[in-house]
Amino acid sequence: MSYTQGISSELEDLIFLEDVEASMLFRIDGNVVESCFNEKYSQELLRTVQWCKANVEKVSLEMRSNNLNKVTYELNDFCVLFFVVNSVTILTTLANQNVNLSLLSIEAKRKSQIIANYL
Amino acid sequence: MQITAGTTSHRSIKQATKAIIRDVINNINGTPDFLLVAFTPNYQSKRDYEYALAKICEESGTRNVIGGIFPGVATSNGLPTTQGCSVMGFKGDEVQFQPPFDYTNVRINPKKGAQEIKNAYKVTNKLSKLGFFLTPGPFYQADAFEQLKVLDTFFAKKFKKMFNLIGRMINRNMGKNGYGSTLFADTILKTLVEDGIKNALGGATIDLDMKSCYQFSGDKVFQNALVGTIFSSDKLSFNNNWTFDKSQHSRNFFLTEFLKSSGYVQKINKKPANEAFLELIDISRDLYDEAFGKLSYASLLYLSALENEYEDYVPFVSVCHPILDGVIATVPEKSLNSNNIKADFFTQSGTGIQKSAFECANNLIQGLTDIRFGIFINCSNRLLIAGDKIDKENKLIEQAVGEDVPFITLYSGGEFSLINRKPIYSAVSIHGFVAGEPTINTKNVVF
Repeated sequence: MSYTQGISSELEDLIFLEDVEASMLFRIDGNVVESCFNEKYSQELLRTVQWCKANVEKVSLEMRSNNLNKVTYELNDFCVLFFVVNSVTILTTLANQNVNLSLLSIEAKRKSQIIANYL
Repeated sequence: MQITAGTTSHRSIKQATKAIIRDVINNINGTPDFLLVAFTPNYQSKRDYEYALAKICEESGTRNVIGGIFPGVATSNGLPTTQGCSVMGFKGDEVQFQPPFDYTNVRINPKKGAQEIKNAYKVTNKLSKLGFFLTPGPFYQADAFEQLKVLDTFFAKKFKKMFNLIGRMINRNMGKNGYGSTLFADTILKTLVEDGIKNALGGATIDLDMKSCYQFSGDKVFQNALVGTIFSSDKLSFNNNWTFDKSQHSRNFFLTEFLKSSGYVQKINKKPANEAFLELIDISRDLYDEAFGKLSYASLLYLSALENEYEDYVPFVSVCHPILDGVIATVPEKSLNSNNIKADFFTQSGTGIQKSAFECANNLIQGLTDIRFGIFINCSNRLLIAGDKIDKENKLIEQAVGEDVPFITLYSGGEFSLINRKPIYSAVSIHGFVAGEPTINTKNVVF
């Protein structure tokens, strides 16, 4: 399995979790390395993705300067979870507000470490 | 002795099974003597689990398999997952495993379930033995709490004897759907003590959305069964123990009116229990519902505990549902033995949970050397409180039992232990056992 297929499969695992709408691997400059979306996505979700894309650099700077591994935002009825993968990439998971954040963060952390091994 | 343990995760149960066979089961040279298999509940369909179990039995060549579903699973060498599978496999002469037993109607007839454990325990003639069993945990339909409203009526408070019976019937009826773990867990432990069983460890399978739970024995998948085996050895000793996060003892309160049979508390500090409970934990109804609504209104951070004859405190979960005037408490009937019972609040924290896991593992290794393996039954509520920091807890366990010691952690819906004939049924706690060689006390002898 190539590394892009591997990463893509890990991202797809995340969207199979209850209430998860999208998972993306961002470079800290805002470029998308890989992404995976639920089949039925809304305009609202796309607006939130745009926000993530525009702000990932700022978020990653903030995370690095404060030594944070994980940051959560509540935005446009979505929960946005950023997990550091390595120094240049960030795993971003978007879920609706009913999501069980504890369970999601356990799996997102696991995925961020598996993805780090692919890169 | 060969012991392998590993965790894998994938959205498809077929891929997860394939990976666990390749990475864990195939590491055993030959046919394993016993496999402990734990899947997460996200795959949902019974048929999917049947497929996975059949594949595992076929590829491993053994039907000595028990397991179930748990919201999180972890092993010593892998990060916990909420979407996958953990397996621990054993082969060798040091530990013997009784062929797995199962009893499919444990909610209705827990005594018969206990009998299965006893029968397997009695035919084992080794020096050290420990019963290991898994049971169904809570699962019920969304409207199940409606049935309990009758326990709020004027008559329920006045005619306690009759409503104790009604409470028991509701409990049993909900038990068919999944409620009432306390009722059968307590009976199982009590029966085992009466039958002279010394040590046992158990846990309840659970899906946190309370829609289903499954137990595995061989390639069979059950919904309301007790499954288990007996670990025994002449060479190794088994230590089992338990604990919970007692670091933040906040305040105490009194259960002043309740129905014994159903664990339904009508009054706390002589006030309607629901209202008094929220006052005690000092949060508004809205905030409580937002925090715990998705978890069947079970207050997880605010853990109540009773002092009992065996231990200083045994914790229980309080369910503060908005449609009820009272509070459902997972207190066993025998603990509700006077009219005014003092209970204590302990606030749970991520750090406290980690420390208690270390404490439990550290206690387990006392008197043992060269630890071979460990099995931990850890409450799924602790998984929710810890979130992605849960791997730190397993790191601390590893620190206590030894770096290369394989262990498995199952995040359950109720934990049970018999520790030297002391029955412990608790919530939001960690129970565990380890196998190792007994330490021989040598004295300096001067000739």
